[in-house]
Formats: sequence, structure tokens, C-alpha cells
Amino acid sequence: MRDPDLLDRLIEQYQFRLFRYLLYVTGNKERAEDFFQETWIRVLERGHQYDGKSKFEVWLFAIARHLVIDWHRSKKPQSLDTLTDPEREHPLQLVNENAVSPLHQVLSQENEEIVQTSLQKIPAIYREVLVLRFQEELQIDEMAGVLSIPLSTVKSRLYRGLEALRGALQQGPA
Amino acid sequence: MNHARHARAEQLIAQERVEGISQAERKWLAAHLQECAPCTDLARQTDQALRSMRAAAISFPSGLASRTQFRVRLRAQELREREPKRRALWLTCAVSWIFGVASAPYVWSLFQWFGQHTGAPKLVWELAFGLWWTLPALFVVAVLLMERVHQGDEPAWMRQDR
Repeated sequence: MRDPDLLDRLIEQYQFRLFRYLLYVTGNKERAEDFFQETWIRVLERGHQYDGKSKFEVWLFAIARHLVIDWHRSKKPQSLDTLTDPEREHPLQLVNENAVSPLHQVLSQENEEIVQTSLQKIPAIYREVLVLRFQEELQIDEMAGVLSIPLSTVKSRLYRGLEALRGALQQGPA
Repeated sequence: MNHARHARAEQLIAQERVEGISQAERKWLAAHLQECAPCTDLARQTDQALRSMRAAAISFPSGLASRTQFRVRLRAQELREREPKRRALWLTCAVSWIFGVASAPYVWSLFQWFGQHTGAPKLVWELAFGLWWTLPALFVVAVLLMERVHQGDEPAWMRQDR
């Protein structure tokens, strides 16, 4: 994995998926760009630890996710799971709901607007599993690998996420 | 049509999309959806939401991939340049270790002789020998610690031993 030519090809192959994932997780275009670059630097440095048993994208998303978590931890001395747990009193909102979201700005197709606005209303912890399952089409066990959580937790987050998405869609984009 | 049937249908609609359902459950759901408009609406809305999610277009920032490729190449070069120094360091450590093991009996005698001639207590020259013995190991630990500080800790999640 220290071969820059190989990494060039991997960056080209996974660029859209990784950026989309980071964009949904961070809700911020500039931050997603920073994490995108850092993720590939980590892939270069730690590539020898990838054993090929799981899909490359599972490992890639895990690296990206933990960079985001580390960044949040450096800001506040709490874990991301605690911060993003919507059942707690003050769940982390990765997207500033008072501002026009950069996430919204880069989601360009107008006919997707309602869904994207609805997605932003969903807590980050659920948005993330929906993205991994229905956009990145990861299997549930692969998601458990990326998120470092048990299968049962992945499933419960997916069900709640789906419910939240439907609820948000019924409310409309307002 | 009771509430329990709707609840089951609602659960199966979600389950089908999340983890799949059995043939029998699919048959039951299809039959229910044929006669229940609200549940059919729910299934349609769910499908529509997921379809829209899948089709969502994201404009990828221009130049991000090439900027990243450039940074990765720079870092790769940096790592390549550091590699010979690292190898030399480890080689030095290994040689020093081997030399330490091989010369231990002689150095022990030397410390013993020195202790006897200076009249230093046995504990003192034994401790001095121990310190001499552990110096290479301490050096290696210091180098490793410095490297970890430089590169950042390697989190457990990066190791693929799950």
C-alpha cells in the first residue's frame, strides 16, 4: 500500500464514495475535504495493516470515521457515541441547523432536495447508518466493522434511522 | 384488520429493506399490502425515500483527488527517505544488544574488580552493572516512544484483528 501508483488508482476509484460518506458524517464540505485527504494519508501509512479479509471500503470508511471521531474528541473530552446519542439530552448535531448547510449546497439535484433536507434533520448517528447501508450498500456485518459496534446495535440504529427518515419526509422540507 | 396486523406489516416493511425477510413473511406482507392502503403507502414512501437516497448526487470538489494524490506522493517520499535511517537504527540496536549479551560475563568481572579495588559496596557495583545492561534497552524504548509521538498513536480500530 506504499505504492503511490496503486494509491492513485484507489483514490480515483473510491473518491466519490468516501467524500459522500464524509460529507454526510461531518455535514461540512471543507471539513469533509480535509478528512478526505487525511484518510488517504492514513491509508498510505497504515496500509500494511489491511489484511484483505474484508472489503477495502470497509477498512477505508473505518479509518475515515475514526479520524472524525478523533477530531471530535480533541474538541471535547467525550466519545462520539455519547455525543451523537439522540436519546441523550444534548446530542451532537454535526450540522448547524441555523445556517444554510454546506451539505445542502453541494447536493445539487433539485428533485433530491426534500430527501436531503430530511436527512439533515436526522441525528448523525442514524444518518450515518442509512448512508452506509443504502448508499454504500454495505452488509450489516461490514457496517458493524466500520462502526465498531455489535450487529444488534447496527440493526436497531437502522430501524430507528429508517423510521426517522420516514418521519422527516412526512414533515416535509420546512 | 386489527392494529397488530398493521404493526406487523410496518415492521416487515422496514425489516425487508434492512436485513431481508423470509419467503413466508414476504407472502404474508404481499397479501396484506393488497388489501391495506395505508400500509401500501408506507411501503411506497419507504421505497421512495431509499431510492432518492441512493440517487442523491454530490458534486465532488474539483481538484480534491489530484491534491490528495499529490499529498500522498509527498508523504510516500518522506516515508521512503526515512526508511534507511530507521533500518540503520534497528541494526545498531541489534548489534549493540548482541554485543551486550556476549560481553556480559566480562563486564560483570570488570565491575566486580572495580568494586573490590575502590571498596564500593557490592550493591552499588551490581546496580551500576544493571544500569549498563539496561542502557541499550532504555535507548530503544526512548526511540520507539519518540516515533509514536511523531506518528501519533496507532488506534486499536486500525488493526484488523476484529
